[in-house]
Amino acid sequence: MNMKPPEIDWDRIHEIIEKHKGVKWGLIPLLQEVQEHTGYIPPESIELIAEAMNLYPSEVQGVITFYAGFALKPKGKYVLRVCRGTACHVKGGRSVLRLMQKELDLKEGETSSDYQFTLETVACLGACFLAPTMMINRDYFGKLSPTKVSSVLGEYQKK
Amino acid sequence: MDKIVLTIDNKKISCPPGTSILQAATQNDIKIPHLCYHPDLKPFGACRLCLVEDEQSGRLMASCVTPVAPDMTIQTDTPRIISHRRNIVRLMIAEHPESCIVCSKGNRCQLRWVAAQMGIGETNLYAMPNYKPLEQANPFIIRDLSKCILCGKCIRADHELVGVGAIDYNSRGFASRPATVHEQGLEQSNCTFCGTCVSMCPTGALSAKNSQYVGSPAEESFSICGFCGVGCSLAMGQSANKVIDVNPAHLTDSVNKATLCVRGHFAHDFLNSRRRIVAPMMAKKGEGETLQMTPVSWDEALDQVAERLRHIRDESGPQSIAFVGSSKCSNEENYLFQKIARVLIGTNNVDNGGYVSGQFLATILDQKTGGGSRPNPVSDLEKADVIVVLGADPNHSLPVVSYDLKRIAKNGVPLIVVDPRKTELVSFASLWLPVKPRTDLELINALAALLHEANAYDSEFIDRYAEGFSLFTYALSSLDVNKVCRMTGLEMKDLKATVALLEEKRIAFVIGHGILQQRYGTHTLGAILNLSLMAGSLGAEGGGIYILARENNQSGAMDMGTVPNLLPGRMPLAEDSARKTWEKNWGVKISPDPGLNLGRVIKAAESGQLRALYIMGENPLRSLPQPQRVKAALANLELFVVQDILDSEIVKLADVVLPGAAASEKSGSFTNLEGRIQGFSPVVSPPGKAKPDWEILDLLAKRLGAAEAYGTMEKIREEIRHLVPAYADMNGRGPGWVKTSSPMAVFGAAGAREKISFSPVVSTADEAADSDYPFTAILGSLRYHLGSGTRTSASDRIRDFNYGGEVDISIADADKLKLKDGDAVRIETRWGGIKRKIGRSNRIEPGQLFVPLAVNANDAMNLIDLNDLADPDTTGWKTCAVKITKV
Repeated sequence: MNMKPPEIDWDRIHEIIEKHKGVKWGLIPLLQEVQEHTGYIPPESIELIAEAMNLYPSEVQGVITFYAGFALKPKGKYVLRVCRGTACHVKGGRSVLRLMQKELDLKEGETSSDYQFTLETVACLGACFLAPTMMINRDYFGKLSPTKVSSVLGEYQKK
Repeated sequence: MDKIVLTIDNKKISCPPGTSILQAATQNDIKIPHLCYHPDLKPFGACRLCLVEDEQSGRLMASCVTPVAPDMTIQTDTPRIISHRRNIVRLMIAEHPESCIVCSKGNRCQLRWVAAQMGIGETNLYAMPNYKPLEQANPFIIRDLSKCILCGKCIRADHELVGVGAIDYNSRGFASRPATVHEQGLEQSNCTFCGTCVSMCPTGALSAKNSQYVGSPAEESFSICGFCGVGCSLAMGQSANKVIDVNPAHLTDSVNKATLCVRGHFAHDFLNSRRRIVAPMMAKKGEGETLQMTPVSWDEALDQVAERLRHIRDESGPQSIAFVGSSKCSNEENYLFQKIARVLIGTNNVDNGGYVSGQFLATILDQKTGGGSRPNPVSDLEKADVIVVLGADPNHSLPVVSYDLKRIAKNGVPLIVVDPRKTELVSFASLWLPVKPRTDLELINALAALLHEANAYDSEFIDRYAEGFSLFTYALSSLDVNKVCRMTGLEMKDLKATVALLEEKRIAFVIGHGILQQRYGTHTLGAILNLSLMAGSLGAEGGGIYILARENNQSGAMDMGTVPNLLPGRMPLAEDSARKTWEKNWGVKISPDPGLNLGRVIKAAESGQLRALYIMGENPLRSLPQPQRVKAALANLELFVVQDILDSEIVKLADVVLPGAAASEKSGSFTNLEGRIQGFSPVVSPPGKAKPDWEILDLLAKRLGAAEAYGTMEKIREEIRHLVPAYADMNGRGPGWVKTSSPMAVFGAAGAREKISFSPVVSTADEAADSDYPFTAILGSLRYHLGSGTRTSASDRIRDFNYGGEVDISIADADKLKLKDGDAVRIETRWGGIKRKIGRSNRIEPGQLFVPLAVNANDAMNLIDLNDLADPDTTGWKTCAVKITKV
């Protein structure tokens, strides 16, 4: 199954840009809103954003690439973030990641060709008491085991 | 403010608050190693090499970003600091490729130098090279980011000094690197290839692409750039008598400081072009009776020139001979050149190529202000309250001036750009007024009327320093501002917004070819002067009128009298007193005959009135309209002498060719757009048998009957210093300034009491639109070429860049004509046509085209009429009516 990334809603992006135009320190809130709305920041929007914020396009791109929270490539509908922090590592976080890679046939940082899943790792989710943990979009999953991972993934694959 | 006293390395030091520890130490000859610090950039604290220790607290601090505090006790080289610094350098080297032996940074690599100073050879660390692909698709800069140490100098130079913003840091941590938008090659980005980053890069990450030589030059010496009117200070590296490397000289009193532009940095490889003329030549009958250019000795060539010039003068009188000097040659050479014409031949038929740039129009300012507006440092722009840029695109024509404008605008000084095109400067401007071509004069008069109406003028200043204000305002009151809006294509609210920015402000004007090459440009300059007087700006620092001279010595050539109607020191030939002064100086009678300007010289050759022409450093086949007609006119000449550095079409037409020298091959001085006189000495010697131009002229003068040869350049300079009061300051060492003794009170000289009169309000009827030629083509410069592009076209790098000179057309017009990017079109006027590719652009208004000059042997000159050139006041070749057809 090969699908195209979702269409970009340019009207909405223009609206967001217009809203933050010329506001001091407005770049990051603007980028967050575009990221939130579109799932990524379309590279074609860099020049538009730069013009509105009176910055060099290279500066805008510099900010986007600096933060892990911003992406220049479209992501999947579900972004899976596996915790690779110390506590999760001790509790088998590495095996969780390996299992996910196998089940989804994705490497770290990759997005499935149908734009359903993006697999990422994070340094810590701040929920060490639930180790090993992961997040799917905004939902937490803790005390993971191979069976739990498979069943959670199965749920999302059905959706 | 009180000074701060502290101790560095047991030495008591006092310095003003806000000084960094590094600056304080450097000022007191205490050396602290550093890689990311540069005096022209804001401190950044990236490399951490400049660590110092605060004795009281034991803290280690980066001295470049730590300001001095009272009673600090700083140590700069304790064993602890040295150990830390060594580790930092070891880590940098562990990440650095071991390619020093082939690295073109060679002995100028600061990383290698710092490592050597600390005795670091083997790092004994696990090497972790960060390989990145080598980028060298463009002919100027090689980017090898494997060697990048992330000091950020390139990025900061780009953002803070040049204002282009082509690169910035991308990503984080180990992956972090300077990158362009969308991580494309530099040639696809908006990089202007000024090379400022290359000169600053402490390692081999950025280096100049050099096809003939790799490594460090054998010797480096200072020179002045011979391209545009900015007059940048250069540090030129040579090896085996060839200039192989150019960098900004970075002198504290230079115009350019640490910056340059693509021409100055990279186009100097024209010096080593195979097209250089290396021996005197004469057209001699070879086999089959055809004329062939044959190398001859200097004696033979010069004897021939002198003999034939004398013969023609004796037969047909001095008016049958003309001289065309050069806005690229030195003051000394131009002085000698016009002296030969006026004194030894006895003709005032002497002009220079600056005529085409409209430099002549600037004399209206001289007349009005008594020359008082001449000395005009670019650094004073900083002191303006508001800057108005009229008909100028300094990003392309004089890039280093644009760096200043952009920086000043970023610091909050309002910038108003008056230009039909949306130039790169517009994104830095508070206001852009897209006037229709040739309507600047109406706009300026309307602004004056609105300022008057709002009572927003400096009446005290006007009373003290100007006259004719009531007559002027009377004329303004009858001006129909609504009509001006229709003519200029601007709305009343634009004019009102402009007036709001100008009200009671000190205005600096920056004026380019859009005014200087415009029909009735003199009136426009007069109107600008009126506005400057109303604002009370003239004469104050930051209230200057800057004329952007296209060529390096355009102002100097005029100062030296290489124009028909002005004697040296810009003294009008028509005035008896001026002639008397120079008759006394030179001990000869000077003809009062007005002499021919460049346009008339060609027409006289065309009609056969002119028998001989001597051209030094000018190529009329590239720089004048209707090249075919010029060629035919030159072929009419009985004697055509060309003194030049590069082989070209005119060399083929010449009877005698004398090989001259480029600026870096001789000594002399140039006067830049500010009125700064800058001396220079040779970096290398001229190629082959070529000689410095002053020496050629000196040898010729002796043969034409000069009593005594000068023998040295210094003697010519001495004579100028002695006889031209404006050049009394010229000493050939540091920069001197054009001295003026304006009688106008506004410039504040002792005893100066005269008032400047307001210029009359003139309205010029626009030409009727011509339905056969519905588009207005604007002819303009590109940063890759200077003027007509004679020298820049001989640069391998510029040629390899392969800029085709695409004609800009508005998207609306392109859609209407069904033109895609890269489509070939033919552009025609009544006088001729050219073929170019098209580029769809949102920087140009519908109905207009932008045709870049200097490409394809400057074929754009085919579009304009040579007749326009004859009268300097109605020259109007900035724009022309054209039609466009797809081919």
